[in-house]
Amino acid sequence: MLRLLTLAAAALMGAFAAANAADIYASRLTAVAYDGAMRANVQGDGHVSASLDGRTLTVKGDFTGLPSAATGVRLYSGPGIGVPGGAILDLQFSGQTEGTVSGTVSLSSTQLAALKRGHVYIQINSQKAPDGNLWGWLLPDHPFPGPDVPVAGQGFLPQLDVPGNWTEK
Amino acid sequence: MRELRVTIVAAGLAAAGLWIADSVAQTTQAPFTAAQAQAGRAAYATSCASCHQANLAGSGEQPPLAGSSFMATWGRRSVKDFYEDIRANMPYGRGGSLDTPAYQNITAFILSANGAKPGSKPFDGTSTTLISAVASGQVPADIARTARRGGGDEGEGGGGRAAAMRLGQTLVGKIRNYAPVTDAMLVNPDPKDWLIYRGNYQGWSHSGLSQINDRNVDQLQLKWSWAMNEGGENATGPTIHDGIMFLANTSNTVQALDARTGELLWENRLGPVATRAYSALRSLAVYQDKVYINATDAKLYALDAKTGKVVWETDIAPPGKGFNETGGVIVAHGKVIVGLTLCRGQMPHCYISAYDAETGKQVWKFTTIAAPGTPGGDTWANVPDDMRAGGETWIAGTYDPDLNITYWGTAQSKPWMQASRRSGTASTLYANSTLALDADTGQLKWYFSHAPGETFDLDEVFERVLIDHGEQKTLMTIGKVGILWKLDRVTGKFLDAKQTVFQNVYDGIDKKTGRLSFRPDVLAQKTNSWISSCPSAAGGHDWPPTSYDRANDLMIIPLDQSCNLMLGHDVAQHTGVVQPEGEEKLFFMPGTDGNMGRLAAYRTADMKPIWSFQQRSPFLTGVLSTDGNIALVGDYDRVFRAVQTTTGRTLWTVRLPTVVQGNPVSYEVDGKQYIAITTGLGGGSPFAKPSSMLGELHHPDHGQALYVFALPDRMN
Repeated sequence: MLRLLTLAAAALMGAFAAANAADIYASRLTAVAYDGAMRANVQGDGHVSASLDGRTLTVKGDFTGLPSAATGVRLYSGPGIGVPGGAILDLQFSGQTEGTVSGTVSLSSTQLAALKRGHVYIQINSQKAPDGNLWGWLLPDHPFPGPDVPVAGQGFLPQLDVPGNWTEK
Repeated sequence: MRELRVTIVAAGLAAAGLWIADSVAQTTQAPFTAAQAQAGRAAYATSCASCHQANLAGSGEQPPLAGSSFMATWGRRSVKDFYEDIRANMPYGRGGSLDTPAYQNITAFILSANGAKPGSKPFDGTSTTLISAVASGQVPADIARTARRGGGDEGEGGGGRAAAMRLGQTLVGKIRNYAPVTDAMLVNPDPKDWLIYRGNYQGWSHSGLSQINDRNVDQLQLKWSWAMNEGGENATGPTIHDGIMFLANTSNTVQALDARTGELLWENRLGPVATRAYSALRSLAVYQDKVYINATDAKLYALDAKTGKVVWETDIAPPGKGFNETGGVIVAHGKVIVGLTLCRGQMPHCYISAYDAETGKQVWKFTTIAAPGTPGGDTWANVPDDMRAGGETWIAGTYDPDLNITYWGTAQSKPWMQASRRSGTASTLYANSTLALDADTGQLKWYFSHAPGETFDLDEVFERVLIDHGEQKTLMTIGKVGILWKLDRVTGKFLDAKQTVFQNVYDGIDKKTGRLSFRPDVLAQKTNSWISSCPSAAGGHDWPPTSYDRANDLMIIPLDQSCNLMLGHDVAQHTGVVQPEGEEKLFFMPGTDGNMGRLAAYRTADMKPIWSFQQRSPFLTGVLSTDGNIALVGDYDRVFRAVQTTTGRTLWTVRLPTVVQGNPVSYEVDGKQYIAITTGLGGGSPFAKPSSMLGELHHPDHGQALYVFALPDRMN
C-alpha cells in the first residue's frame, strides 16, 4: 500500500511538474530566413523566456549583435512551428544593436491555442532589416545540455513534444 | 538530393516578359567600369566557369548567369543585392573566399555579359541600381560563342583548386599474389577487409574488429596520411582487400596504396578533371581481379586490381550530354550495378543499370521515371513524359544475396515544388521511393513511395540498410525529412516510422500504410510565394550514411538541423533547357538552440531512441561503428571523433586540417587495426548550407586528404 501511495504521489508530482514546465516557454533568437543578399543585415543572437499565467504571457529576454538598431519587437503567429505568420501583439524593447525585450500581454483564445501549439514566435525588426532581423519560436523550455553532451532518448523535438503538431492514424 | 543554390537561381523562360519589357532601358550606363568587367572575366573563368560555364549558360543544376533566366530572377533586384549574394555564397560552398575586388569585378563581368554597358564610375559594392535598369539579358556574341564545356572537361579549371593534371596511368602496378574477391567473400566479408562501400551487402557500415575499443580509443594516433586531389567534391571512402587500399580521388583518379604504410602501388587518372560540385566518387567496388569505378562523366570502368590498367570501359549514359554519376557501384551476383544522376532537362530519364562484371556488357536497365502507358505512368497527373524528371540514384544500393534483390533509393521528382511541377500530390513514381529489383534481371519486385507529392527537395534517396529482426527481414532508411522508415524487405510492406529531427512538412501519418499527410498550407502552395520547410533541403539526414551495430541493435544516424523558406518558380514546360526551379532562404531550426548537428542512436527492434546529442557543426561523414563499442564520425568543423556506441559519450577527438567529409572505414593488416577517414571540400547542401549559416566556423579551402589512425605500437 505504501508503495502504491508513493507511486501515486510521484505520479501527481510528475504531472504537476509537467504542467508547470509546460507554462514556461523559451527561445533562442537567431537570424530570420535569409539569402545571401540579406545576410549582412540579419546577424545577431538573443534569448527570451516567457511564463504563462492563465492568459497572461510575460516575456523577457535580450539580444545582441544586430547590424543596425532595433526598431520593434512583436509576437507573431503562423500556421505551424517554424512557419511565419502575421504580427499579433507588440512587446517592448530597450537598446539599439543590443538590448532587452520585455512585455506582458493578454492572449485571446486563438492566440493562447497557437502558443500552446508552438506557433507563436518573437521577431525583432531593425533599421536595415525592417521585415525581420531575429526571430525565435516560443517552445516549452528545454535546457540545452551543451555541445556533444548526450541525453537519453531523442532529446527535444518540437513536433513530438508540443501537442497537436503530429497525428498518427 | 540537389540543394537549392542559396540565391543565384534563375526563373523559367515564362518570366521572359520582364526581360523584354526592360530591354528598352539599356542605354543607361551601368555602375562599373570596362576595366572591372575585363578583370572580372578572368576571375570568373577561374572561380565560376567550372560550374556556370564560360558562356554563363549554366550546367546541370548550376543556373545560367546570363540571358532571360538570369534577368527573370535578378532583374527586379539591385546590383548591390547580387554582389552581396555572390560574395556571401560563391564560389559554391566557399562563400567569401575571394577578395573584395574579385567579387566586384565578377559582378561587373556578369552584368556586362547581360548586356550592361560599362560606365565611368567603378563598382564599389554599394550601387542600388536595379539590374533591369542597366542590363538586358542580351549576351554579347564573344561570350555566347564560348564553347559550352561538358561536366568535367580537362583544363577547364576547378570547382575548388583542381590543378591541371596529366591524365592516364601514371604508375603501373606490380601487385603479386592478389587474392581474387569471390562472391563468398562479398557475402561474408572478412572483418580485416572493407570490400563494399558500406562494409557489407546490408549497408551496415560496421566493422567486426575490436582491437580499438571504448577502453583504449583515447590513445588513437595518426599512422600515415595521403594528400588527395584538390578540386571538386571529395566525399569518398576507401576499399580495402588483402592489405591493399583502393582509393577514389576527385577527377576520377584511382589509386592503390599499401594499407599499412601508405605507399603508392599504382595510379590511374581516368579523368575528366573535376570541375563542379557534383564530382564526388563515393565508392569503388572490387570483385574477382578487378576494381570498378563509376566516373563522374557517367562512364563505368573496370581496372585490373594488380596493375590499375583499364580492362574495359562503357558509357552508362549517352556521352557528352552532362549526365553524371557519383553514387558509387555495387557488385552483386556477378553484375556491376550503378545509378545515374543529372538527367533533367534532357532524355533519357534516370535509370539504374547492371553490367556483366567480366565484359562490361549491359545486362539490364530500370528506368526510375515511369512513362505514360507503363506501370506507374499514371501517377504524374498528365505531366508529359519529356517533362518528367528526377528519380536520380545518388547512393549505391544494397543487396540481399538470399533474396537476390538489390535495394535502391530514388531522389524526388523535379521541379522540386508541386506548383512548379504541376503534378499536385501525385506520387510521381518512381521518385522518392525504395525500389527492390531482381539483381539478375532488373525486374521490379516491389516499390514503396515514401513521400508522394514531395515538394521541398526532400528526397528519400539515401542508404537502404538491411536488418533482420528474428524471422522478419526488414529494410530501414531515412531521408531528408528525417523520418526513419522500417519496411518488410520481402514484400515492401510498411512496418513503422519514427521522426528523428523536427519536421513541419507533414502533420500526420497513417500508421497502417505509412502515408504522410501534408501541412495544409503546403497543399495550398502557389508558385512565386514563400513556404516554410523544416528541415531545409540540406536534409534532416543527407548522404552521410548511418551505421548499424548488430550487437546492440543500434542504428547511429548523423542528422542535420536547418529550415528554409522555399519559393517555386513557374517552370518552362519544355525540355532542352536548364530547368531553374526556385529560391531558398535559410534559417536555424526551432528548438535546436542554433545547433545544426545532431547524432542519434535508435534501437531498431522497437525504433526507440536511446541517446542523442547536438552540436553547432553538422556531421559530414558517415558513421562507422565497430565491435569495440565505438562509433566514429566527422564534422564540418574539422573534428573527427569517437563516441561510445551504447551511450554517445565522446571518447576521443582530433582536429584535422579541413572539413572531415567522407566515409570512415576500418581494416586490419598484420594484426593491427586501422581506421581511415578523408577530409574533403565541395558538395551539395550538407556542405554548402553550413558555409552560409555558420559564419564563425572556418576551414581552409584546400586540404583534401586521407588520414589513417591506429593504436600505438606500444600501448600505455
